[in-house]
Amino acid sequence: MATKKSKKSDDAPDSERPVKKSSDKKKTSDSKKSTGDKPTKAAGGGGKSGQPKTPIVDDGPEEELRLGPLGNKVMTIAGGIGVVGTGAAVGLGAMEGQWAHFFHSYLVAFFWVLTIGLGALWFVTLQHLTRSEWSPVVRRIAEVLGANIPLLAVMALVVVGPLLMGNHDLYKWADPAEVKHSLLLQKKSPYLNTTFFAARFVFYFGVWFIFSRLFLKRSVEQDSTGKPELTNNLWAVSAPGMILFALTVTFCSIDFVMSLAPEWFSTMFGVYVFAGCVVSFYSTMGLIVLWLQKNGRLSKSITVHHRHDIGKMMFAFVVFWAYIAFSQFMLIWYADIPEETVWFKPRLGEWLPVSAALLFLHFVVPFLGLLSKHVKRHRFGLGFWAVWLLVIHYVDLYWLIMPNFSPGKVPFSLMDICAWVGLAGLFLASSARTAMNLNLRPTRDPRLDKSLAFENI
Amino acid sequence: MSEKKQTKPASKEAPLYGLLAEYEKPKQLLAAAKKVRDAGFEQWDTYTPFPVHGIDPAMGIKPTILPWLVLGAGLTGATTALVLQWWTNAHDYAWIVSGKPFWSLPANIPVTFELTVLFSAITTLVGMLMLNKLPHPSSPLDFSERFARVTDDRFFVVIEARDPKFDEGDTKALLESTGAVAVEAVPEDTKTEGRMPSVLVYAIVILTCAAIVPFALSAYAREAKNRSPRIHIVPDMDNQQKFKSQRENDFFADNRAMREPVAGTVARGLLRTDEHLYEGKAGGTWARTFPPAIKADAATMQRGRTAFGINCVPCHGPTGQGNGLVNKRATELAEGTWVPPTNVTQPHLAKQPVGQLYGSIKNGIRNMPGYGHQMSSEDIWATVMYLRALQRGQNATLEDVPAAQRAGMK
Ligand code: HEC
Repeated sequence: MATKKSKKSDDAPDSERPVKKSSDKKKTSDSKKSTGDKPTKAAGGGGKSGQPKTPIVDDGPEEELRLGPLGNKVMTIAGGIGVVGTGAAVGLGAMEGQWAHFFHSYLVAFFWVLTIGLGALWFVTLQHLTRSEWSPVVRRIAEVLGANIPLLAVMALVVVGPLLMGNHDLYKWADPAEVKHSLLLQKKSPYLNTTFFAARFVFYFGVWFIFSRLFLKRSVEQDSTGKPELTNNLWAVSAPGMILFALTVTFCSIDFVMSLAPEWFSTMFGVYVFAGCVVSFYSTMGLIVLWLQKNGRLSKSITVHHRHDIGKMMFAFVVFWAYIAFSQFMLIWYADIPEETVWFKPRLGEWLPVSAALLFLHFVVPFLGLLSKHVKRHRFGLGFWAVWLLVIHYVDLYWLIMPNFSPGKVPFSLMDICAWVGLAGLFLASSARTAMNLNLRPTRDPRLDKSLAFENI
Repeated sequence: MSEKKQTKPASKEAPLYGLLAEYEKPKQLLAAAKKVRDAGFEQWDTYTPFPVHGIDPAMGIKPTILPWLVLGAGLTGATTALVLQWWTNAHDYAWIVSGKPFWSLPANIPVTFELTVLFSAITTLVGMLMLNKLPHPSSPLDFSERFARVTDDRFFVVIEARDPKFDEGDTKALLESTGAVAVEAVPEDTKTEGRMPSVLVYAIVILTCAAIVPFALSAYAREAKNRSPRIHIVPDMDNQQKFKSQRENDFFADNRAMREPVAGTVARGLLRTDEHLYEGKAGGTWARTFPPAIKADAATMQRGRTAFGINCVPCHGPTGQGNGLVNKRATELAEGTWVPPTNVTQPHLAKQPVGQLYGSIKNGIRNMPGYGHQMSSEDIWATVMYLRALQRGQNATLEDVPAAQRAGMK
């Protein structure tokens, strides 16, 4: 290491990095291709909307740094699908006349988008905490995804609101009649009661809002000021941030999902949901990177090496998910105590096909599929498995939540799909809206050059 | 190689080991490596203070086969673990652990996981060392002053004299043309002896002897007899701080470790009001029929067979004739107080009401302990059904065989 450092300070040739200075002369075919969209030029600064006021100073290669009109397109299409989908789900729920099904279905969809957002927040925190050098070029994408917390909080109101108004379709601990009959629920009521639930909800989303906001704002500020202190500042913030993140994610999954079966508990539950956050986030980021590059954005700064790393993390957390899922299952299975096994009873009963599907499609198959480095470095390979994991992540959440509503049969219906597509659309539209006026990657991050020059083999 | 003319300084008699070219920047090294590669050399290498990206293709090194070795090792590890557990626990010495089936996959996963990781990790390390021909304790390059900077800030290419394409003059010219700051001839190592240093030899001998000790001790322990109590390596696991049944415990007012259920409560599944199902009785006498909840079908029979295998075979033997392993061992040791287990297929037992058999199993009979505390009522009833099958099987006549198969049996 010492030798490496001395080499860096003595005679590391700047020209070794694919930085802008050398590529100023020629325009890339990538950017030519997309002139139809008339995107904002990185070096030129200022989009249609006149943003940003300060011209961009970019330390990276010349390439498309902004979404430009593409952002509007995404906002309209995704937003449209979002509104229609969510509306259709509500409509189907109303037609069914039984809101319990709708609420569960909605909760699955909500958790699907929430886990992606939280995974993004975790990623940003982790990159700052470890002062990661490979990731600055992809960090902005995560910052933007993480900044969806306000939207997610509004989405959560559909769950929290009715609860406060006395509806207990989701949580039977909120039903005084149930509590009266269950000693366990009475003992748990100092924690499981609507007021405290709502207070915790505010706390979780408050913490996430503050951190996600901070990470995005400081990072964007650095684009114009280039101050390295901002990076150090976020480094300091990320340490307590990580601790708070661990606690809030754990308790949030206990509150929103585990308490659907309020008499049951598993100390591994929070980690289980967290594993899903990470898997779904990396898959989403992989897809976004591929999509951006296909549309000529960030086509030079993000290389096959970064995509390979995203693939590696997808692979790693597929294994992590399996590890946690199996650990949770095996301890309960081995001890065979009714209070604990009761949760697996429907899941190994009528829901057995879903459980088996998770074992194979959330672990065995993607494990083998993502094992090879050639797959991870291949655009189609990475995209294929990213989509695969996002779909199976939905199944995972469905399996977590739905058996509490319908232990006897898998109630999969159009409403589920509508809610899922709807919330996903809103999430995407909101992300595009945030990204509209920003560079798609940091431009003056102190570690940007390292990230640009990153190679992993 | 020794017929090459010696031009350069230092050791005049020592044969030439190779030519050393020094570079200041990794870029120059990469360019030089490409040239040497294209010139068709095979016995050569590059040396750098840190990993240089792109050196593999520049040197024309083929992608390593290590990943395949590791994949193979991982699969071998997984298979080994599964076969080991199946063989020891379900096949060679079938043994019930925690009431799980003999061959119980979930319980086998942790060991499978560990062995997969262990085999892969060891293969990665050993494979990496072997493919790189490491360890390589000594090299003629160690005696070159110039080469010392390889651990600091210089980059080197070395072409060995044993390469068939090697020709001192031409190769030197080639290296000089690559922009090397210096090219130096390195003689073979004549200073160190060809033998391993004696310290290493002693260390290996001592470590080998030490490695035999545990095996020797366990071989000895297998034969030796010892009356002193065992050594507790993990004392708090052997002697746990827990309350055992029927013991005193001054924590509770009544000084008993065993607690009664909370007044007015019944534990899950313990509300047993159905006399037929739970006591084997109907109207106070042994029931002659199976309770309605117990279906006479293949599933129940299979369940009975499993339960019989778990609970009864050690004493009564696989066919219920009273010749289980426990009985054999007790007879072998000539245990005076041993009462042999009954042959449960005897006709008088075949005539016993099913309820009475249920009662014997649940509550025990004379010298046989009761099984009610460890078998569910359903399991006991299923066992009774299987007992009936054994009894019938042992006392069967030709009439019991389906007509179609009778012919072949005579
Ligand atoms: C520890 C060894 C042992 C095990 C295990 C055991 N038995 Fe027995 N069993 C005996 C012995 C010994 C007797 C004879 C008792 C006597 O006559 O004092 C016996 C007697 C019996 C009898 C005859 C009762 C009678 O009315 O004469 C039946 C039936 C029986 N066992 C069934 C079972 C079944 C079914 C199981 C499995 C659930 C089982 N046993 C497990 C040792 C065992």
